[in-house]
Amino acid sequence: MFERRITIVVGHFGSGKTEIAVNGAVRLAAGGTPVALVDIDVVKPYFRTREARDLLSDLGVELVAPAGENATADLPIVLPRVRTLCRDTSRKVVVDAGGDDTGARVLGSLSDVLAGQAPDLLLVLNFRRPFTPDVPSAVAMARDIEAAARLKVTGIVANTHLMAETTADVILDGLRMARETADMLGVDVRAVAVEEGLDREIAAAAPGVEVFPLKRIVQPPVGPMNLKVPRTGPLFVVR
Amino acid sequence: MAKKLMKGCEAIGEAAIRAGCKLFFGYPITPQNEIPEYLSHRLPQVGGTFVQAESEVGASNMIYGAAGAGERVFTSSSSPGISLMQEAVSYLAGAELPVVIVNIMRAGPGLGGILPSQADYFQATKGGGHGDFNTLVLAPWSVQEAADLVADAFDLADYYRNPVYVLGDGLIGQMMEPVEFREDRKPLKDLAAKTWASTGWKGDRPRAVINSLYLDADTLEQHNRDLQAKYATIRRDEVRWQGYGLDGDYDVLIVAYGTVARVCLTAMEELREQGIKAAILRPISLYPFPYDAVRQASARARAVLVVELSAGQMIQDVQLAVAETRPIHFHGRTGGNLVSPDEAAAKVREVLDGRSQEVRNA
Repeated sequence: MFERRITIVVGHFGSGKTEIAVNGAVRLAAGGTPVALVDIDVVKPYFRTREARDLLSDLGVELVAPAGENATADLPIVLPRVRTLCRDTSRKVVVDAGGDDTGARVLGSLSDVLAGQAPDLLLVLNFRRPFTPDVPSAVAMARDIEAAARLKVTGIVANTHLMAETTADVILDGLRMARETADMLGVDVRAVAVEEGLDREIAAAAPGVEVFPLKRIVQPPVGPMNLKVPRTGPLFVVR
Repeated sequence: MAKKLMKGCEAIGEAAIRAGCKLFFGYPITPQNEIPEYLSHRLPQVGGTFVQAESEVGASNMIYGAAGAGERVFTSSSSPGISLMQEAVSYLAGAELPVVIVNIMRAGPGLGGILPSQADYFQATKGGGHGDFNTLVLAPWSVQEAADLVADAFDLADYYRNPVYVLGDGLIGQMMEPVEFREDRKPLKDLAAKTWASTGWKGDRPRAVINSLYLDADTLEQHNRDLQAKYATIRRDEVRWQGYGLDGDYDVLIVAYGTVARVCLTAMEELREQGIKAAILRPISLYPFPYDAVRQASARARAVLVVELSAGQMIQDVQLAVAETRPIHFHGRTGGNLVSPDEAAAKVREVLDGRSQEVRNA
């Protein structure tokens, strides 16, 4: 994943797009690749990439997202630098789109600058989310997103989980449905995202698919009931 | 049913549908928009009706009409929108109509901001509207509990014929957690048929008129006495709270509700590892407030610490409970900032080493 110059992360509201985009950008930066993370999430009001602005800056990722008071506004702001970056071949770009076809509509407005750039359009799927419980609903959602984005899905990231209650069975069941969805769409499952701790077990159980170890970065300070909560900043945990 | 990963707002919407609610009237406002968004998809699937009203004033009067016709109905909003509904809440209480109102609180006053807050405690528990009335107020601390309390809220509303608030800070609405909806849930109360509902008179019973207007002073006073008797029953029977670490020894009693109580629980566990003993009392019902439980738990502590996402509102109820028998300290954040476990733990240490100033005249 994240091999092409522009990688766009799309999917259902709450499917895990932001965490995957942030982790992808951080991984590229750690490998020495100049990378910009573009936040065009105009759907959700909390838990956006901008919550991790300082952390991303420290790690060498350029975050392109509303700043100052606009960072906590519920306004559909798309910064002009987004269009510049789509054409700037000197760096890689990871785009965190908003949820559903509603969020993907912003991509449609960028179709003139994305044309010819051959972006990777990764569809994130969590089959434990209420509106994508099965393969047909995931395929229907993919089609809606493609129409709004004016782009075709080029790969799938299997991200089925239940936060702290995730088990290997939950992940593997989701991977199976992600593969069926990929077959229906004519693309591949590019990776299975796994929170650190279960990644080795999944790698052993699911050979032939990239295991993308996920570090949860943007999340609330309340944590699961029975687990330790790490240090917190003023609003969201950044660990 | 297999567990789902849901935002608090989605779980609240699904819980309402599973409680038999087929009607939602509301108006958008962040950070609770995912409730109407979810219901606009789901209600048509179950033969229900979703209406985006022209305003919160409209929505709150639509729930008055639907409840008067005997239907289970609910609305949701966030702080400024709940303020707009206050006239109707007073009318709903006066006409004794069962409705559920979900408030996913954001920071105020005025338009404030879209980030989490608990600054609508007074509005919910002391009656934001006019007249002598009270509403039940339930405050969840997790997405699962938000779903469970919404189900309970419908039963309590019907049983007492009274508005019930489910009060969550912005995090409760926006964060995602695993949720399970039990298929075998039993109603909380024996619920009588709604013979009082205005469903069309066919001559077989007295006319059912939904009303809060009583022009005769004695009649209105009697109506108020009946309401007060009902509120006294609610205060006797519907107190809910949970304690953490109350069984052992402790020096500081923390009183906190909602997600703040979870932050305090993390702080409490860290402090205990360092030999500092704190315990937590978490009110779940904010009206009725657990005065007796707070009084009894505070008697075993050296000091009481109230933690809220406000400038200090629940602290007044804690003062009533403690009645000056223990020093009370306060830690609050406003503006949408959250309390961190480190902050809560530091405040407990300050309470114990004398660096924290006791609160007077809150």
